[in-house]
Amino acid sequence: MIMHVAEAGEQRGRVVLHITSGHPSDVAMEAAVRIAQAFHSEIESLFVEDLQLYDMASYPFAREISLTGVRRTLSREGIERDLQLAARSLRRRVEALARAANVPLRSARIVRDDPMQALAKACAEDGPWNVVALADVLAPGQGARLCELFANVGGYTGLMLVGPKARRTRGPVIAVVESPDHLQPMLRAAERMAAVAGGEVMIMLLSDSPSGGQWLDEQVRLALGDHAKVNLLAYQIDHGAPAALAEIIRRLEAGFLIGHFGGILVPAHGDLRDLVAALECPLFLMR
Amino acid sequence: MAFWKSQPSKPTNQDANTSADPTKPAAPNGAGLTAPATAHTPLPITELRRTVDPTALGFKTTSELEPARGLIGQDRALKAIQFGANMASHDFNIFVLGPAASGKTTAVRQHLERKLKDLPTPPDWVYVNNFETPNRPRALKLPPGRARSLVKGMIGAIDELRNTLPAMFEGEDYQARRRAIDEEFRSGQEQAFEGLNTKANSQNITILRTPTGFAMAPMHEGKIVKPEVFNTLPEAMRKQIEQRIEALQKELAEIIERLPKTDKQRRAKLSELNEEIAALAVHEALDDLAAAFADQPDVLAYLDAVGRDLIRNVGLFLMSPGDENEIVKQPADTARDARFRRYMVNPMVSHNGDEPPIAPLVEELNPTYGNLIGRVEHIAQMGALVTDFLLIKPGSLHKANGGYLMIDARKLLMSPYAWEALKRAIKSREIRIEQPSEMAGLMSTQSLDPEPIPFETKVVLLGDRELYYLLAAADPDFSRFFKVQADFDDSIARSTENDQAYARLIASIVMEHKLKPLDAPAVARMIEEGARLASDREKLSIEIGRIADLVREADYWAAQAGRSTTTRADVAQAIDENIQRSDRLRDRSQETIERQIVLVDTTGTKVGQINGLAVLQLGDFSFGRPSRITARVRMGSGRVTDIEREAKLGGALHTKGVMILWGYLAGRYALDVPLALAATLVFEQSYGGVDGDSASSTELYALLSALSEVPIKQSYAVTGSVNQWGEVQAIGGVNEKIEGFFDVCKARGLNGEQGVLVPRANVQHLMLREDVVEAVKAGKFTVHAVETIDQGIEILTGVKAGTRGDDGQFEAGSINRRVEETLRSFAERGRAFARRSEGDSAAAGDNGKAAS
Repeated sequence: MIMHVAEAGEQRGRVVLHITSGHPSDVAMEAAVRIAQAFHSEIESLFVEDLQLYDMASYPFAREISLTGVRRTLSREGIERDLQLAARSLRRRVEALARAANVPLRSARIVRDDPMQALAKACAEDGPWNVVALADVLAPGQGARLCELFANVGGYTGLMLVGPKARRTRGPVIAVVESPDHLQPMLRAAERMAAVAGGEVMIMLLSDSPSGGQWLDEQVRLALGDHAKVNLLAYQIDHGAPAALAEIIRRLEAGFLIGHFGGILVPAHGDLRDLVAALECPLFLMR
Repeated sequence: MAFWKSQPSKPTNQDANTSADPTKPAAPNGAGLTAPATAHTPLPITELRRTVDPTALGFKTTSELEPARGLIGQDRALKAIQFGANMASHDFNIFVLGPAASGKTTAVRQHLERKLKDLPTPPDWVYVNNFETPNRPRALKLPPGRARSLVKGMIGAIDELRNTLPAMFEGEDYQARRRAIDEEFRSGQEQAFEGLNTKANSQNITILRTPTGFAMAPMHEGKIVKPEVFNTLPEAMRKQIEQRIEALQKELAEIIERLPKTDKQRRAKLSELNEEIAALAVHEALDDLAAAFADQPDVLAYLDAVGRDLIRNVGLFLMSPGDENEIVKQPADTARDARFRRYMVNPMVSHNGDEPPIAPLVEELNPTYGNLIGRVEHIAQMGALVTDFLLIKPGSLHKANGGYLMIDARKLLMSPYAWEALKRAIKSREIRIEQPSEMAGLMSTQSLDPEPIPFETKVVLLGDRELYYLLAAADPDFSRFFKVQADFDDSIARSTENDQAYARLIASIVMEHKLKPLDAPAVARMIEEGARLASDREKLSIEIGRIADLVREADYWAAQAGRSTTTRADVAQAIDENIQRSDRLRDRSQETIERQIVLVDTTGTKVGQINGLAVLQLGDFSFGRPSRITARVRMGSGRVTDIEREAKLGGALHTKGVMILWGYLAGRYALDVPLALAATLVFEQSYGGVDGDSASSTELYALLSALSEVPIKQSYAVTGSVNQWGEVQAIGGVNEKIEGFFDVCKARGLNGEQGVLVPRANVQHLMLREDVVEAVKAGKFTVHAVETIDQGIEILTGVKAGTRGDDGQFEAGSINRRVEETLRSFAERGRAFARRSEGDSAAAGDNGKAAS
């Protein structure tokens, strides 16, 4: 949505904050609110009580190991109560963040379902101008889950996620452009994000060959012309080692990273381990 | 009462007797005519006021004169100050005593200022944080002018660290090493979790995150096996799965339990890394400062302590500044940042490095305890009073350390604890800041115990003489610590040289206050007024403050008259206007006399009644006022009743005077008979108390008149004390007394017979107003100087006083003869009365015996 909204100059849209556990990332929640703020859209929190937890709690031998190493017996009632308490607590946090950023909170829904299905339903109900914000930290080894999301859930135009090292939402907004077609929507999105992230807009040109890089550079410069409002810093990388790329992004201390799913930065079926492990800011992926 | 009735005798002229001619008595005591006195010559006008010839001064205006430097006529005091200032001992402090407005403060300041350049420049002192015992701040001694360098240096070092430390900690080197530590920890943790996860997955067990921890369940194709499906499995399989989950749960619990210990190791490694990185920046920041103070071991030790603390608390520099300026986007001034207070330096004594430092001369105008010793201030924080070493404020003892400190002694003594604190500092030779409330045991809030600072200051107290002698008598420490007294005189002897010096003094006042110059007649008038202020025509007042006031007022009147030079008329107007502003009470007093509310006769004669003279002091202004004194006598047991004393309105000196005159009477007239006299003396219409013995001769004249029954001329007023030999002695305020009676007579009309009797010894003090002198010159008023009571009584009565002849008798018709006869008569009557009383008693006794 937001890419399209931004491209179309429209002022409406929705950020779906997808929460599936009691331990969402503060950075992810803050980033979700900033996106809504940047695009003048609403935010909707979707707390999913994973049905699998109820199944697990139904086992007579079900035990929980707490974060301090203490074991206790689990029950359906117990897990239900814990989830309700976590949902209430998260709702208050989302409300407080939205209020502080002057972002309308459309609703704070709690559903008991499979997390993926719940998200798909939510996006289908009020699509397609949605951005999905994953509140739970994406672990380095969960690249497959991301692919699954893009493959199985529709009704959204972008997805925001954070890694385990996420720690800031302020700083330069880096748009990783791999195709001239993506330049304009990514640039507009980056400009809007930069307005709330308090940093400059940087465009990183990414290609997998020197010739491709040169061509991309020419195309982008041609398309940009004398773009007066953007302090453009072109950055080109012509080799695709994921670890090196991740390290460069980390050193730029970005407040937001905007990329395209299915490209060099985030391959549709590649290993995201290095990128996610190095990521210190939210990653905003457009379809 | 019975005694009075038994002596009805004939009415005497004490009751209502007045006579225009006192040489024609109304049959006193049945004696014969009185003997007329020889004429007494009044004082010539040259004795009434000592004038200055302006032409003899030798200049036209003061602009031609070299202004006087400092004071004149204070050589003794200045020598004492010089001695005290040169004495290095800590107990040779100076007490400057002298009247107010004598210019002593200015003189002391000028004198000491000249001495300052001879003194070594005292060191700078700073208070710094004591990192081991924060409530006992350390005092550091520094060479003169280097305290500011240390203050600026520390601010600069902290400023530098505010920039370098965050940069270093955000730098790639640190971040990489930190990540390595984190990764080491994290990877171990992740490996353990991943290993467990892999192991669980291989056993078809999944680990799920719950809101408060982790849980495990059997899995099939990535999904949890539904419990109803699980229940359909064979019992053995279910048991096996359950046991696997139990084992995996134990492993997970062990991994989680290991986390805190591992994290502790991680933190320790991080701390080591932080200290290593911080040490680089801290040493770099402090190195320059350490090099600059390499010659100061105490400073180096302090910088070491600062370095250690900075490394330990490097986190202070990595916190976001809470009070960043929103406009310029810069953090607040380091010196004001609460995080870095502990590294700041509090200069207690610092010399400006830009100027050649000299020893200080400090005049403490408000010598309260805190202003002298310094104080530890507090600030309110969350409802509590807190403090630190930066809130230690220096007192004047700190500021004057190594130099001179001038203090007004009276103000010092009036400030609670201040005198004791000053003595303690002098005695212990150190300045120890203690809160007065602590000394009183009242302090319950946080406070400090700063290290004392050595005290080497010459203290100069300034006060009046009464205070000096009071302190010397009441405080044994005073004489121990203030061994030098500089006694300022309030007047100098009159001479041609001193008249010239006085003119130069006036010239210096003119220059200092940027006034119009005074012409020679004006200076002459000033000198005459100086003599008047000194109450002595042989002296000149050197109360510089009053003289300066008068010169400035004269300047004002000259300006009002549009003159460019101050003239004699301006000085005279300034004097008159000054008096007029202050003399409302004198006018009221004169008015009550003129309207006969207060009875004072200035014509005619009366027995036992005389005009005395008193002086009333109202601030700086004093004036004379005549007062009627009366005396009555009768036979009695030998007692003069001083009604003032009986009514508790008379002071001790007045009582003494009355007792002296009683001694005179007894010694002169009752040599061979008892003094069978009862007399009463009173100041008529006096309600405010009487003291001093200046009226004792006056009272004696009234008594002699009453005893001799010779009337006194009411056209005279009298002042002077008397001794037992009848000699008239000097009194104070002679000018005001004469002028007071003159004003009353002038208001009623001067008739040429009016005048005043003053002691001969007071002639040298006469500096009468010009209008009084003019009246005397015109023969309308007289001033008589008397040496003895006999001279005085002759002038007052016109009757000869009389001397004893070879026969032991006073001359017939003389005052003394009549007095003696009266007293003898009283004695004989008393003896006859006693005899009659004894006879009556004896008869009563015989009758009693017969009856028994």
